[in-house]
Amino acid sequence: MIEVSNLTKTYGKKRGIDRLSFTIGDGEIVGFLGPNGAGKSTTMNIISGYLSASSGAARIGGIDILEDPVAAKRQIGYLPEQPPLYLDMTVAEYLDFIFDLKVPAGELKRSAHIEEICELVGLKEHYTRVIRNLSKGYKQRVGLAQALIGNPEVLILDEPTVGLDPKQIIEIRNVIKGLGKNRTIILSTHILQEVSAICERVLVINNGQIVADDKPENLSSMITGDRKLTVRVAGPRDSVRKILRSIEGVRFADVTVQAEKGSYDFLVEARPNVDIRKPMFAALAKAGYPILQLKSMDLSLEDIFLKLVEEKKKQRDPHNKAPKKVPGEVALNVSGGEESAQEAYASPEPPEQSEEEAVSPAAEGKEEEI
Amino acid sequence: MSAIYKRDLRAYFTSPVGYVFIAAFLFVMNLVFFLMNMLTGENRLTTCYTIMLYAMMVLVPILTMRTFSEDYKQKTDQLLLTSPVKPAGIVMGKFLAAYTVFVITLALMLVQVIIIAAMSTPNAAIIVGNYIALLSAAAVYISIGCFVSSLTENQLVANIATLAINVTLFLLDFAYDLVNVGWIKQILYWISIYRRFNTFYVGVFSVADFVFYLCVSAVFLFLTVRVLEKKRWS
Ligand SMILES: Nc1ncnc2c1ncn2[C@@H]1O[C@H](COP(=O)(O)OP(=O)(O)OP(=O)(O)O)[C@@H](O)[C@H]1O
Ligand SMILES: [Mg+2]
Repeated sequence: MIEVSNLTKTYGKKRGIDRLSFTIGDGEIVGFLGPNGAGKSTTMNIISGYLSASSGAARIGGIDILEDPVAAKRQIGYLPEQPPLYLDMTVAEYLDFIFDLKVPAGELKRSAHIEEICELVGLKEHYTRVIRNLSKGYKQRVGLAQALIGNPEVLILDEPTVGLDPKQIIEIRNVIKGLGKNRTIILSTHILQEVSAICERVLVINNGQIVADDKPENLSSMITGDRKLTVRVAGPRDSVRKILRSIEGVRFADVTVQAEKGSYDFLVEARPNVDIRKPMFAALAKAGYPILQLKSMDLSLEDIFLKLVEEKKKQRDPHNKAPKKVPGEVALNVSGGEESAQEAYASPEPPEQSEEEAVSPAAEGKEEEI
Repeated sequence: MSAIYKRDLRAYFTSPVGYVFIAAFLFVMNLVFFLMNMLTGENRLTTCYTIMLYAMMVLVPILTMRTFSEDYKQKTDQLLLTSPVKPAGIVMGKFLAAYTVFVITLALMLVQVIIIAAMSTPNAAIIVGNYIALLSAAAVYISIGCFVSSLTENQLVANIATLAINVTLFLLDFAYDLVNVGWIKQILYWISIYRRFNTFYVGVFSVADFVFYLCVSAVFLFLTVRVLEKKRWS
């Protein structure tokens, strides 16, 4: 459905994106994952025909966006980073206008179509309100509704859940997932959980290049090759540790902090493709040390970049390890780390960052790898 | 195109801009009408309408300053430029919306004609000529305003720059009278916008002049389309 080949966009001397190529099949839901300034919005703007690439081509449904822009654009619903809203209109007037703008006469029944979309994105009660007075989350929904008008086959959504509260995020994610049943969707985000929650495939973009292209599950396992858990166990620290280490499949286990009186948090790492939760439960139960809490530690976006960028480096020059150069460059690449970490917190499944700080598993993993 | 036309026209009247333009225009013109015609008993509207040309020079930028600048500012240009409408359609929609507001204003000025007609028997040809001249002039002013607005996201800058261009064009007419070098005079004669109004004002319909105005507006509208197309390559 979407073919992008060797797309490059230069802003003055600066490269926004650099020889980007990918294909997205019919009905796929693909996530662009990347830190600030990675080139996600630039790519989307080019595919949707708002910007032109300095070189390379983008085709939508086989139509080149530069050769026949009108036919290509007809297939696309686009929610830009900042929803393009006429603030002085009511939701009803605005969607009416979009309908006039995008839908050829006689193709769809206006009121039924608009009503259906409002129902879908939860705008029914706000239908007659002036857009200026809506809260940010509802403005975002109007933006999404706008992209849906005319039932385009391709949806391009640039950070569709940014600025929403956790409840709304889940709602909108479900809406997008539902839409993806009969549509091709590209969405961008800096939140790892978001791609895992919605997408079947993820393109990790950094510095205008694709660093990884895989399923979200594979992405995390490709990076770590194993699962990490934090487990809180009531019991004496040394003997619990001993038990944990004795479990088949455990690669690493140690205390991170004393959580409550008489109980400790342990970080447990399993070998690739081994589920250690059941044996761990059995072992600890047998010893009489109850598990108070068990969480799987998803990697944060920062960890993923760290790993991916390193891996790329290794692939490129396997002999030159340059261990000192890596951290500096990583820090540069993930300059948006602070912001995305905050957003990750705002999301409903916050990653376990507090524990991470205690042991810094990412750093540890890195040392093992090098 | 018609969707953009409808929205823009509506926007003129949901914001103060349309009303301010119409009110300012009618105020100035009725004042002029009162001074030039009512007080003197003059039944030709030509003087009055010549002054209208100057009023347009100053007031039309209010009408056109928002056409593209406002869309740039609130990023709705991103919506328009990714919708299945050609840039030419976007420009025409916006141009015609502004033009319609002007035509509405002009229609309201017909009251003056009615007053004159009730009190005397004016020359119909001259009045029609005046109206054609005003409509042509408006097309030129509005297309210049649209073009300037497509260059900036700041409405105030668009307004002042349009005004500056209008004044410059106006001054070229003075230059014509002052310059004595033959070929410069010839060029000035050719590009002079204001001079050409005179034929209309005396009630003669000059096809050449009418076509000239259409061409000038077409050129500016074409340039506007180019600006929109160029934006992608920024
Ligand atoms: N109009 C522009 N002029 C100059 N540079 C630009 C322009 N737009 C984008 N860039 C640069 O291109 C790069 C990619 O920007 P882009 O907006 O695509 O990133 P992004 O992945 O969408 O980031 P974010 O997560 O912050 O939205 C950035 O380095 C940015 O500085
Ligand atoms: Mg972006």
